[in-house]
Amino acid sequence: MEFLLELMTEELPPSHVRSALEQVGQTLPGELVAVGLGRTDPSVSLKIFGTCRRLVVWAEVESGQQDREEQVVGPPKAVAFAADGSPTAAALGFARSRGIDPSRLEVIKNEKGEYVGFTKRAQGRAAAEILPEVVVRVLSGLVFPKMMRWGENPVRFSRPVKNILCLLDGRPLDFSFAGVRSGGVTYGHKLLDPRPLTPKSFAEYRGLLAGARVIIDPEERRSMILAQADVLLEPLKAQMLPDPDLLDRLTFDIEQPFVFLGGFPETYLALPLEVLSTAMREGQRLFSVIKGKKQQPLFLGVADALGDSKSLIRSGNERVLKARLEDARFFWSQDVKFGLKKRAAGLKRVVFQEKLGSYEDKSLRLKKLAGYLCDKLDAAEMKKDVLLAAELCKADLLTDMVGEFPSLQGKMGGLLASREKLGEIVSRAIYEHYQPAGLDDETPPSLGGAVLSMADRMDSLAGVMGLGISSSGSGDPFGLRRSAQGICRIILGRKLVFSLSRFVDKALDVYGERLDKNKAEFKSGCLDFFAGRLRSIFEKQGFRYDLINAAFGAGIDSVYHASLRVQALHGLRSSPEFEPFILMAKRVNNIIRDSAEFKVNPALLQEKEEKELHALFSLVKQNAGPMIVQGDFSQAQRMIFRLQPGLNLFFDKVLVMDKDLRLRRNRLGLLQAISKLLLQIADYSQVVVEGEKAAG
Amino acid sequence: MEQNTLQGLILNLLRFWGEQGCYLAPTYDLEVGAGTMTPDTFFRVLDKRPWRVAYVQPARRPTDGRFGENPHRVQKHHQFQVILKPSPEDIQQVYLRSLGALGIDLRDHDLRFDEDDWESPTIGAWGVGWQVMLDGLEISQFTYFQQAGGIDVFPIPAEITYGLERLEMFLENQDDIYGLRWSSDVSYRDLRFREEKEFSDYNFNAASIKSLLSIFGLYAKESQALIQKGLLLPAYDMCLKCSHAFNLLDARGAISVTERVKMIAQIRALVNQVARDYAAGTGAA
Repeated sequence: MEFLLELMTEELPPSHVRSALEQVGQTLPGELVAVGLGRTDPSVSLKIFGTCRRLVVWAEVESGQQDREEQVVGPPKAVAFAADGSPTAAALGFARSRGIDPSRLEVIKNEKGEYVGFTKRAQGRAAAEILPEVVVRVLSGLVFPKMMRWGENPVRFSRPVKNILCLLDGRPLDFSFAGVRSGGVTYGHKLLDPRPLTPKSFAEYRGLLAGARVIIDPEERRSMILAQADVLLEPLKAQMLPDPDLLDRLTFDIEQPFVFLGGFPETYLALPLEVLSTAMREGQRLFSVIKGKKQQPLFLGVADALGDSKSLIRSGNERVLKARLEDARFFWSQDVKFGLKKRAAGLKRVVFQEKLGSYEDKSLRLKKLAGYLCDKLDAAEMKKDVLLAAELCKADLLTDMVGEFPSLQGKMGGLLASREKLGEIVSRAIYEHYQPAGLDDETPPSLGGAVLSMADRMDSLAGVMGLGISSSGSGDPFGLRRSAQGICRIILGRKLVFSLSRFVDKALDVYGERLDKNKAEFKSGCLDFFAGRLRSIFEKQGFRYDLINAAFGAGIDSVYHASLRVQALHGLRSSPEFEPFILMAKRVNNIIRDSAEFKVNPALLQEKEEKELHALFSLVKQNAGPMIVQGDFSQAQRMIFRLQPGLNLFFDKVLVMDKDLRLRRNRLGLLQAISKLLLQIADYSQVVVEGEKAAG
Repeated sequence: MEQNTLQGLILNLLRFWGEQGCYLAPTYDLEVGAGTMTPDTFFRVLDKRPWRVAYVQPARRPTDGRFGENPHRVQKHHQFQVILKPSPEDIQQVYLRSLGALGIDLRDHDLRFDEDDWESPTIGAWGVGWQVMLDGLEISQFTYFQQAGGIDVFPIPAEITYGLERLEMFLENQDDIYGLRWSSDVSYRDLRFREEKEFSDYNFNAASIKSLLSIFGLYAKESQALIQKGLLLPAYDMCLKCSHAFNLLDARGAISVTERVKMIAQIRALVNQVARDYAAGTGAA
């Protein structure tokens, strides 16, 4: 049967629409299956749509539940029947309590023994009867980052619920949610065509709403926006400055997309592209128009309208934009006049964090940290420039422009640096040092930007953790997670090799007396935090958790090497040598587990197999060593696999726990040496292999 | 009716909301940053009784002063504030009709309800709602109050705030605030230009930091004493005076980030105490 649900609300924030649709898509199929109405393949039988005013679900469902048979178990057979086979008082009492005739009693066998009982036939309920419960459960389960109440309604939702249309094969289902009673009516576009509509099927619903100026499918609205933009820009041979976030937002912001082209006086083109596009995007949500890379004195707007025959929408937006650009031009001219270095002098009055000092203090720390990284990364030639960038990178926080458009922080500083001819390295480093801003955002394209970004993040992370403030649960008020994740992503993206733990040490040292507690404690806290972030990056990349554990067992001091380790494990996981070798490595570990440490003395090796293993080990170690140093863990691992036959023979023929304590210690020492070598590549004991899983 | 004047706009809105059963309140006689802060809103959202009010309120934001030189920004503008408690089922429709009553044919425009959750840390209040954008211009703030004075409010009031100068500029296609007229023979420039110039100078340059800091302390102390005596409305007035002194200090650049947080917290603590005592007395949530 065809099921259709439409929940109408006052305007939902775009992010809430997306989240609600996702949540419904995740929970509804399971709920339908659980009540016996679901089809097996939800991708064919469920479709979800939405606008800022409505959440829409279409589904194919079964017409009702199957009839079910259920066994009701009573007393044990032994006490239920007398010797002559007639039911005892116990059996009769059971039958009476369940309201059945004793003749329906039968013997039921289960794993506990034989009992009397009876079979109950439960008639399946019709879809029309069950669906209201399911719908209310799914809707009540929706959660939003911020929820509200309205009127005298006790329910919390994203925004007030206004109407519910719910049809099963065209017939309205009757239930209440959030104080609204469901029915067979919906309404068209709020301004363009607010008539009530009474569709009888999904196809009709979709058609009626399209007629009433509502496009329910986000993908369709998105294509409409892009197609209309093309029509407007094609004759001008111009393009829309790509802005996926803005497009996404606008798609969910409207019910009837209408794209219009507007302009602004050319004099504002003197402003940098970043400033222009920010002024357009923030506040008015307009797209910049470019030709090649050149900004045009034009913009594209997306209205929730059918057209603009009187040009009121265009001219209204032009007027507002002109006022904003005029402000931006004023800010830009003031900021250019003032200059970056003079701004930087004001940083001592701006608090970074009460206990961690001013932004001037932070800049001084950044110089030390960025300098340290330049040394470690053999980037001496750019050190002078990076230090200057560190000194100036926070100055733009004091510009009027960043005061008005906070999202321009960093970029504004970079633009001013470039204008003041401080050099490519300096201006790019400042420009890029907040990147990556989001979890999927691009990392800094220049090495100077990468160094400054890592220094800035490490400084904040060490400082905040050093004050004993940690990031727990779902919140990340100080952006610690983003900071750690950003550093990891920069390292991985640029394949940088340096010691994370010494970088943390340096960051804590640079704070000097400001952090008064135990340094070792913060340090391990910081490193754990990095391990957590790095794990989430690897998991997102699709690596198995046990392979990540094994790679982390060899340490994450070099973040880049940790990624090479997990890649090597991943690459070799299905090779025929892998599993036997894991089992062997575990065996080695088990034997040496509780033993003290010993050194192997070749003179004490007696048996042929242990002599051979020792010789093999020396050779393997000699070969694998340089591979490990270079981070070629795949080759190193393949080299290590060669120990397998030697170890097999050793365990077959040689008794490790010899009565002679000297021999025993020498053999343990040999295995310990092997284990140490393995640990330079991965902690193989963390790998879960098939045989174990079955046993576990 | 006076066409193309702020007065005409105000009369239209008063008539419209009067017909919706709003009590048309006189302007409150203290400096406030927003219409939300006056007792006709603040106290009336705390109890359970139905309440409908509409009024014009000058809103003072000292840092927005531009010495009369900016065509859009002023350190004092005028808000038309509406509170409807509980929020009516058809409140959005009513609001749209109010725009119609101003002569705006919405089918010719792009009207959007743009997510914008409002909060005022000073009076411990927040709500969920939108900025209403008409062809890219913010013409109103539309909020379902959730908390005031740190207390969950219930029933939920709807608050609609129209920015009067902005709306009138939109209606007249006027790009300069000083090109508006208050009535047919009184211009906005005549009424307000000198005030903007002098107050900008006062806000940014002349206001005595020392006096303001001492005023802030005195009013805070007074408020505390009045709370002890159960004189909640006067105690709240003192909080408003603190808030204005704070805004002036802010404009003078006299407050560091940490002091800022502390001073806001100090006012909020007083306001929250007033709200708790008031709600306890009226049997509200």
